[in-house]
Parts: sequence; structure tokens; C-alpha cells
Amino acid sequence: MALPATPDTSSSFEALYRSCGADVYAYVASLLRDRAAAEDVTALAFERALRRRRSFDRARGSERAWLFGIARNAALDELRRRSRTAALLTDPPADTVADPEDDHDRRATVRAALAGLDPRERELIALKFHAGLSNAEIAKVIGVGESAAAMRLHRAVTKLREACHAS
Amino acid sequence: MRPDPTVTAELAELDRALAGEDSPFTALVADVRAQRPQMEPAFAARLDRMVDDARTAPRRPRWLAWSPLAGLAAAVIVAVVLVSGNDRTSTPLRGLSPQVRAPSTAAESGAPKSLASPAPVTGQARKVERTTALALSTGRADVQNVADDVVATTQRFGGIVDSSQTSTSDSEASAVFALRIPTARLDDAIAALSKLAHVSSLQQGSTDITSSFVSSEARLHDARAERSALLKALARATTAQAIDAIKARLRDNRSQIAQLKGDLDALRRRANLARVDVTVAGNGHASSGGGSWTPADAARDALRVLEVAAGVILIGLAAGIPLALLLGAAWLAAHSARRRRREAPASRP
Repeated sequence: MALPATPDTSSSFEALYRSCGADVYAYVASLLRDRAAAEDVTALAFERALRRRRSFDRARGSERAWLFGIARNAALDELRRRSRTAALLTDPPADTVADPEDDHDRRATVRAALAGLDPRERELIALKFHAGLSNAEIAKVIGVGESAAAMRLHRAVTKLREACHAS
Repeated sequence: MRPDPTVTAELAELDRALAGEDSPFTALVADVRAQRPQMEPAFAARLDRMVDDARTAPRRPRWLAWSPLAGLAAAVIVAVVLVSGNDRTSTPLRGLSPQVRAPSTAAESGAPKSLASPAPVTGQARKVERTTALALSTGRADVQNVADDVVATTQRFGGIVDSSQTSTSDSEASAVFALRIPTARLDDAIAALSKLAHVSSLQQGSTDITSSFVSSEARLHDARAERSALLKALARATTAQAIDAIKARLRDNRSQIAQLKGDLDALRRRANLARVDVTVAGNGHASSGGGSWTPADAARDALRVLEVAAGVILIGLAAGIPLALLLGAAWLAAHSARRRRREAPASRP
């Protein structure tokens, strides 16, 4: 769905927001590993997207790729500003874990494996698994060709699987 | 470059798992998705409101788009602001600046409150940093006395002298102060300081730092919650590797909390104590305590009026010259076209 510069632009934007607001937050939080900062950056990303919605050009990629590109720039600005990376991928596990014991163990292993990935690999995993972007959209977001994006994604997924199996 | 067929096949399997179909990646997808960071409901509601407000906000009319006419209008507005701003932020035209007087004097004259003074803080939750730059002038011999009075006045209003510097020479003397004065008493303190000598200029500003404050408070709250969760995780940890990892994260968390506390304290200080920069210049012309309006003051005022008028003319020229050039070019083009049309029949055989 494109964002035409017509009076229904705002409703298109709302549809975009409804469909991927949570995905943007999940992606930004995975990048920043800081909940408060992720909230600020998500809000900033939507604010920027709203301001620039008329500049969206469907010929240059999908709306989702455009929005995640804005979110990525905002998150990288935040990382540059802080000049550090946060310590946590997600918040520590809560007490109320209702999974069976083996699920709990497996997910702890996956969490540790994710934490062990390179930040760029973790970003690719977040774009694919949390945001549900296609390989072409991921390529647009990170600014590389589709084949290169596919190769990098494959490498990240393979490394993640190996880390899970090694544990 | 085409990806390896194995890569393509595995990524296709991954896409199938992400789409909810059965695939070798199904378990991995479920496990990774279980780690997906979730928005707090409060933040989700806030974001909803923000997007909704922005979406329904009135649009900027098309006629406000950039055009030469808009440029000209902007230049006129800038000129008006410059003229009115000069009237309010510096005080060469004595009698026109109520803010340099004591409150009682201002009330007597019925003069309006300056636009440069900050708006009153309506809610207790708002955090506003106020800054003031006050320039006083007096006779060279009186600089030390005025400087002493500045310190005494600051202390009387519960303020702090962050730094002070006084210098004297044969021909002139000066003193520079960086003061911190409780924001609640700032107006009274400025009125009292303004009585100490002739006020050459007074500039006041305010910055709303509420959002920084709220953001830092929220981060501190989150960091404390994270610490609590880490401590619980530490109590549950069984392996040495897990304990070390959690301890490392606790160290990071502790330094984050310390930094956020420092940020909050600094913001509180900025909101509670206004920064006031005072300069006292001593020369042979001005007398202490203000004095009457002298011919020298009149000459300075006249010079200032001329400066402002020159500024307005300059801005007018800046907007008018490009327009005149465009019109001239258009006229030349039209003239040349007319001439060519006239000469064309005559040149035919």
C-alpha cells in the first residue's frame, strides 16, 4: 500500500502504523537493548515518518521498508549519541515464566545465542523474525543489494542455529 | 550475484516457518519470537495518542508554501521582530523597559510585562530553566561598591556566586559575576540588582526542560526495575557462567543508575536555580544609581534608532533586489523579443 499525496494519506499512514507499530518497537528495542530509549526512538521514528510521509516514493521500495529505514536511522543516531551499547537484549526473564521446563531451557539458550550475535547480525534477525520483512525489504532498510542481504541473513541465521545447538 | 542455491532454499524454508507453515525452522522461529520485545501498554497508548493527534492536526495551507511573496512576508516579519525585540531585550531607550525596574516602579508606571520574560509556570510538574544576562554601568570609582552590592544582593535572595572577577585599570574598571539564584525569587532579585547601577541591557530567556526531566526519571525507574529483575535472576542462577554474566550486567546497571541520578540532579539544579550573568562596567560617563536622562543617553538612543532603521532597510533590499533583477530580466527578454519581431520582416528579401 502506498502513501499517495492525497487527502487519504493520513488514513494510509494510520493503517501503516497499526500494522507495524509493534514491529518497529521490537526492531528498535533489539537494536538499542534499552526499553526507555527504544520508546523514545520509536516515537521519534513515527514522528519523522509522519512529517515526511509525502516524500515517500513507492518506486523506491515498500512502505514498510521506508518506515524501518527511518526507524533504523533514528536508532543509529541514538546509539551514536550515547556512544555505547546497552547491556541487555531484552529485559531479564520475569518470574512468571509459564513455559514447561524444557521450553524454558531452550528459550534461555536462544536468548543467550542472540546475545552472542554481532549487533549487525542481531539487527538482521530482528528485521526478519520480529518485523517480518522480506529479504528485498531488508536489503532496502540496510542499504545493500538483495543478494547481499540474503547472504548476510543466512549467515546470521546459521550462526544463531549453531549457537543454539552448541549450548 | 545470485545467492547459493542452498542459501536460497534455506531462506525459503525460513520464510515458510515465519508464515506459520511446517518447516525445519519452525522451532527456531517460535523461540526467537518468544524473545520479541513487547511494548508496555502505557507506551502503546501514548504512541497511539501521538500518531492520532499528529494525523488529525490541521494541515498547513498550500498558500504557506515557499514563494517570493512568502519570502517578502518573512523578511517583513523578521524586521518587525527585530525592531520590537530590540525594544524589549536591551534598554538604551530608558523609560521603555519595565523589567529593569523594581516591581513597584513597574506597577506605578502601568507598563506592560516584557515579552522576553518567561511565561509563568502553570503546572508544578513543568521544569523550566531560566537564564538572565544583566549589564550594569557605573562610574569607574564605583565598580567595587557595586560589585560588593551584587554579592550582598545575591546572598540576600538565597543565591550563590558561582564565580566572580573584578579588574581595574587607570581608565576603566569592570566586574563579571556568574550567579545562581533560586528561580522562585529571580524576578525580585533582578529588580534589586537593577537598582544598583544604570542598566545597559537585560536579556532573559527560558527553556522548558520538562521532557528531559521526565525522560530521565522514566529511565531511572526502568533501570531500577531492571536491577530488581537482575537481582532475582542472580538468586536463581546456578552455573558460574550465568552468575558472572548477571554480575557483569549488574555492574553496567549500577553505573547507569548512578549516571541517571546525576543527570536528574543536574536537571533539578537547572530548574531550581536560575543562572544570572552580571557584568558591571565602569567608565567616566555613567553615574551610579541610574541618574537622569543625559544628552549622551539621547545620542546613544538616536544612534540605536538609526541602527534599527538601517537594519530594516537592509532586509527590505535583500528581499527587493532579487525581485527587481527578475523583473529587469523579464523586461529585457520581452523587449528583445519585440525588437526581433519588428526587425524580422525588414530583413526578409
